[in-house]
Amino acid sequence: MPVDHKRINGPEESVPYELFARLSGLTSEKAFEQLYKAGKRSDGREFEEHRKIFLKNGAVSQAKGSAYIEMGQTKVIVSVFDPREIPNRSDYSLKGELYCEFKFAPFSCAKRRLHQQDNEEKQYSCIMKKALESAVCLHELPNFQVDIYALVMHNDGSALSAAITAAGVALVEAGVPMYDIITSVTVGIQQGVKLVDPDSLEEQMCQVQFLSEKYQDNNHGLLIISKLHTQEQLCQFYQNGYVSLEVLKSGLEVLSKTCEVIVPLVQKCLIKHITNGIKS
Amino acid sequence: MEVIESFENNLNLKCKLQVLSRADGSAMFSEGQTVVLSAIYGPVEVKMQKLLIEKASVESVFKPKSGLPGVSDRYKEYLIKNICETALASALYPRTAVLVNLQEMQNQGQLISCAINAVCLACLDSGIDMKFLFGAVSYFLTKEEELTLTPPINESSVKAMFVFVFNNTKGDVIASHTEGRFSIDQYKTALDICRDEVKKVFIFFKETLLDT
Amino acid sequence: MAEQYKSLHPAKYYRDHLKHDIRPDGRELSDFRPVVINVGSIKTADGSSIVKIGNTTVVCGIKAEISRPKADAATKGFLVPNVELSPVCSSKFKPGPPSDQAQVLTQIIADIVGNSQCINLEELCIFPDKIAWCLYADLICIDYDGSLIDACALALISCLKVVSLPEVSYDPSLDKQQVNLEKRTPINVNSVFVSTTFAIFDDKLILADPTVEEENLCTGTLTIVTCNDELCYVHKPGGSPLVDEQMSDCIEKCMNRSNSIKKLIKTAILENI
Repeated sequence: MPVDHKRINGPEESVPYELFARLSGLTSEKAFEQLYKAGKRSDGREFEEHRKIFLKNGAVSQAKGSAYIEMGQTKVIVSVFDPREIPNRSDYSLKGELYCEFKFAPFSCAKRRLHQQDNEEKQYSCIMKKALESAVCLHELPNFQVDIYALVMHNDGSALSAAITAAGVALVEAGVPMYDIITSVTVGIQQGVKLVDPDSLEEQMCQVQFLSEKYQDNNHGLLIISKLHTQEQLCQFYQNGYVSLEVLKSGLEVLSKTCEVIVPLVQKCLIKHITNGIKS
Repeated sequence: MEVIESFENNLNLKCKLQVLSRADGSAMFSEGQTVVLSAIYGPVEVKMQKLLIEKASVESVFKPKSGLPGVSDRYKEYLIKNICETALASALYPRTAVLVNLQEMQNQGQLISCAINAVCLACLDSGIDMKFLFGAVSYFLTKEEELTLTPPINESSVKAMFVFVFNNTKGDVIASHTEGRFSIDQYKTALDICRDEVKKVFIFFKETLLDT
Repeated sequence: MAEQYKSLHPAKYYRDHLKHDIRPDGRELSDFRPVVINVGSIKTADGSSIVKIGNTTVVCGIKAEISRPKADAATKGFLVPNVELSPVCSSKFKPGPPSDQAQVLTQIIADIVGNSQCINLEELCIFPDKIAWCLYADLICIDYDGSLIDACALALISCLKVVSLPEVSYDPSLDKQQVNLEKRTPINVNSVFVSTTFAIFDDKLILADPTVEEENLCTGTLTIVTCNDELCYVHKPGGSPLVDEQMSDCIEKCMNRSNSIKKLIKTAILENI
């Protein structure tokens, strides 16, 4: 690793201590088998049940709009700042732009993350940008850029979905004109079982293909969608892994249904924000 | 303790002004075995980002003896920049920049105070307007709870170090930096002794200027 | 009306308030903002804490990794603190490498930890010259409203207090190490440091625990860190000169505050267990 002169550097090489631990013997396949037999997930949820959500706006006093979301253990904070002129741009653009940055805190995942944005974070920033672009009235912000920053403090699965839902709320608080409420949900697929809002272990389990003879179905992967509520439109879709068309179709139905479950929560949060604003 | 006091009354300061021909003001300053070279450029043109409407902006760069500057050098830059901002009559030079460059030549423990004194002399050399002079003194607390002006030869015997920066008008503290742990009384004693000691520094400044 | 006045003449707005010995947020000059400490909420870290001083919020997470001690310090482990002023916390900060301010803050926090000797690095060594713990302490600011040194120092010390490391057995003859995840022990924290920041306004008034607005308008700051009954850092980076009485006064306030903060840390940790 090159020496970073702008930070305090530790030793040249260090490895996570988990590498030297005795293996627990719980492979993804075994974990899935347990899950399938129990018919329930390790935290007692049904397969297609979303975790409890805690959503609060106005978490950052210095930001124009901000939101803090907790989904189970996953904790994400999103800030939105005042629109500013697009930097380093000479020509005039009729449409506004969004700048999204998605970052995992170094201590947020099982393995320590580096300070610089890695490829996964860059990809997530991109997905987030695409999702939010279709919810914001960009034509009302000509030549302006809105900065949106998401920081994951604790990643226990579905962090990107949490960030997008929270960013929607933060944008509303910042007074950025929007078409609709945006919500996002992740589903993990393994052997035709759909795990809505997977935690980090389930995410891992859904991203490997099981090789043993028992499992003939090789559908596995993650689906993430973002949905505009009243328009009933999908504004972003992301998939990885191998998913057949039929499974994809049923997966989308499940996702779409779950998005509707979250909407009242978001609405409640926004109503509270407005009533508080009127009161004071 | 007294023996050390009387024996080491002399801070052992040396200085040479105008050591660099291209700089507006420069000084090579040594305090004991510690040597720092400083150069002042200014007022000069300022970058758009750093432009201040009502006063000059001060930038400082500290170069270590070897290798690339790191986080600890950034801290020294910050300290020196803040001291210069207080001491320079920057309101006289609006929309300009004053650059303060420092090069560590040799370090025997008094690096920060030596650098600050070097900057003050370089400022005087450049003729830039100042509100007051500033002088710095380092003070050491050894493991035996003795206070001394000269850095102990053995680094590990230092329990704490103080650096105080005073102005020459009222002798008030402009800046303070400490390393290690110490009691409140020790801090106050060090402060009082340094306040006396800094007078010698200012006398030395005067002598240096008269010599050139 | 007050809003417009504040944005047009911020300094005058403050002066008008301070004339009546009150600050715009309702505090008296030497009042501190309420402090909230929460520990152990981030399970992916080996120790974590969230500290709020007024609006200022800092999250600290410590992750331990295994490494080899340096050749010149064969019996010492590592503690690597880094402060990040993430763009989340204020519009002042943009993404990219750490700003100068973040670097200075990192150095100050590293100095405080070093000066206080709260962690004996030799205890972090597992086997001399072979393996040692490296604790990466990452401090992330998520809301920037002044007195950041105080918040970072508090977050770091409360985080260190709850760090626990798994047991490691090392076999020197085979050069093999085995980690027992089941058995975790807390690390020894020898001392608790508490930092207090003051702002000097108009060269004479001293405001305790300044907000970001006050920091921007003030003519100097002073940070004092106490460690048990001693001082371990007195940091005044230029700015308005201070007379000795003011200095002693600040030190005294800082000492008083450190006791209440220490109690707060204790209760926060007890609540967590």
